[in-house]
Amino acid sequence: MSPVRLVAAGIRVFGRGGSHVARHTGGLGLLAWGSLASLAKGQVAWRDILAQLYSVGVQSIPLVMVTAILSGIVTSQQGGYQFTSQIPLYVLGSVVTESVILELGPVLTAVVLIGRVGARITAEIGTMQVSEQIDALYSLGRDPVPVLAAPRIVAGTLAMPALVGLANAVGVVAGIVAAQLSVGLGPDSFLYGARLFWNSYDLFYSLMKALAFGFVIPLIAVHMGLLTRGGAEGVGRATTASVVFMIIAVLVSDAMFPPLFLN
Amino acid sequence: MIEYIDVWKAFDVPVLTGVSLTVQTGEILAIVGPSGTGKSVLLKTTIGLIVPERGDVKVDGVSVVHASRAELQAVRRKAGYVFQYAALFDSMTVYENVAYGISDDECKSLGRIEVLRRVTEALEDVNLEPRYVLGKLPAELSGGMRKRVGVARGIVGRPEILLYDEPVTGLDPVNLAAVDQLITEIAHKKGVTSVVVTHDIEGVLRYCHRVALLEGGLMRFVGTPGQFRESGDELVRAFYDRKVAAEAARALTATPGGYR
Repeated sequence: MSPVRLVAAGIRVFGRGGSHVARHTGGLGLLAWGSLASLAKGQVAWRDILAQLYSVGVQSIPLVMVTAILSGIVTSQQGGYQFTSQIPLYVLGSVVTESVILELGPVLTAVVLIGRVGARITAEIGTMQVSEQIDALYSLGRDPVPVLAAPRIVAGTLAMPALVGLANAVGVVAGIVAAQLSVGLGPDSFLYGARLFWNSYDLFYSLMKALAFGFVIPLIAVHMGLLTRGGAEGVGRATTASVVFMIIAVLVSDAMFPPLFLN
Repeated sequence: MIEYIDVWKAFDVPVLTGVSLTVQTGEILAIVGPSGTGKSVLLKTTIGLIVPERGDVKVDGVSVVHASRAELQAVRRKAGYVFQYAALFDSMTVYENVAYGISDDECKSLGRIEVLRRVTEALEDVNLEPRYVLGKLPAELSGGMRKRVGVARGIVGRPEILLYDEPVTGLDPVNLAAVDQLITEIAHKKGVTSVVVTHDIEGVLRYCHRVALLEGGLMRFVGTPGQFRESGDELVRAFYDRKVAAEAARALTATPGGYR
């Protein structure tokens, strides 16, 4: 391939990528703005928000608890395995507590929400799109933003901090139990270590992450659902793309938290 | 009155390439043509579900393309749309689906009993037994029943304009005749302007005032059913003869004891 063609191909790829990013950024921005505006105007039915809160929040509790218990146990066991030589074992309390609260609780709960709720939202709205139900809403003089998008985004934003709070508590308790069973570190020593390096701001930091993830996940899920085209295959493609998009968005925003809020 | 003025629309390939057509108030106009020629696309431009790249669509003088949000809402409230595959909301019961065809403001002013009466009436109009279907979810209904619920949702708001996107596809002959009869009754008794996109040529020619043939992105013919049947235009003849032959073959295979 000649250098000119190579440069042209590069520009084409860059241009296509740029237009893709611009289209999604614009779409997400408009959807977020529309949802907040419809909420402020009182166009969102509380009944819809409560139904979504049940689906997003209450029904996610079992899976969030299982994930949190396992993350607490694994962190405790692996930490204990590494600390058996020079470092005092009570430091494990701080390592487990901080790991769960700062990172594992919010991120693993977000991953659960992506798989359980985000994928479902995209598939549901994508199916509505390809079966003309979204067109039907418009034809009946209804806007899909207050009817479909806003209740899901509000529910995600409200439910996520509660779920992360639960995951944090359950994860730490599981860590205490695992530390006792695996390395013989008693609860008092564990809590002593945890208190030694404890900073109340960490809990606030964890809940800020939860709010951000709880907003971003349904926002992307609804956006990708509304972009769905092309029948059942299109719904499958959109759902996969949506899950990838949500995971990348969560991990990128997670990586931005320490430089922005932990200095 | 609905005016389509030099409407252009392309997706990956051009679909509508300068379609112009006027539908008079109270008229039943049928749009026919081969599959994939943009009949449904044209219908969707009427209420702004698809926006043309060029040209304009006017409903009672209001440009749908350039309308403000409020104007577009007003046009949509004026029109009922019957979707090809009914497009019922899966999570709602038949009652909720049909009642959704009445605007929120009207629902509040009518009250629950009157809304129920209107929903019941609309379901009876499409030959459905309200007591049997009201509480059911769309997934619990047959394809034909779903289609009729879609028609009921389209008419329950008592619109001035009704847009039918293949209203009889997939219906058995009895319900096909019932829906044809309903379209005629609504248009004649209530003066509703009706645009019917259909492949059921013989059926629609019996009751429509005018028929338009859309082919290759353009309106190839607009005239009365009589003119359509007797047209000497090669394109119209070829389309009509092919369709009539296909419908006759389908009718024969659908008749018990008929040729299979």
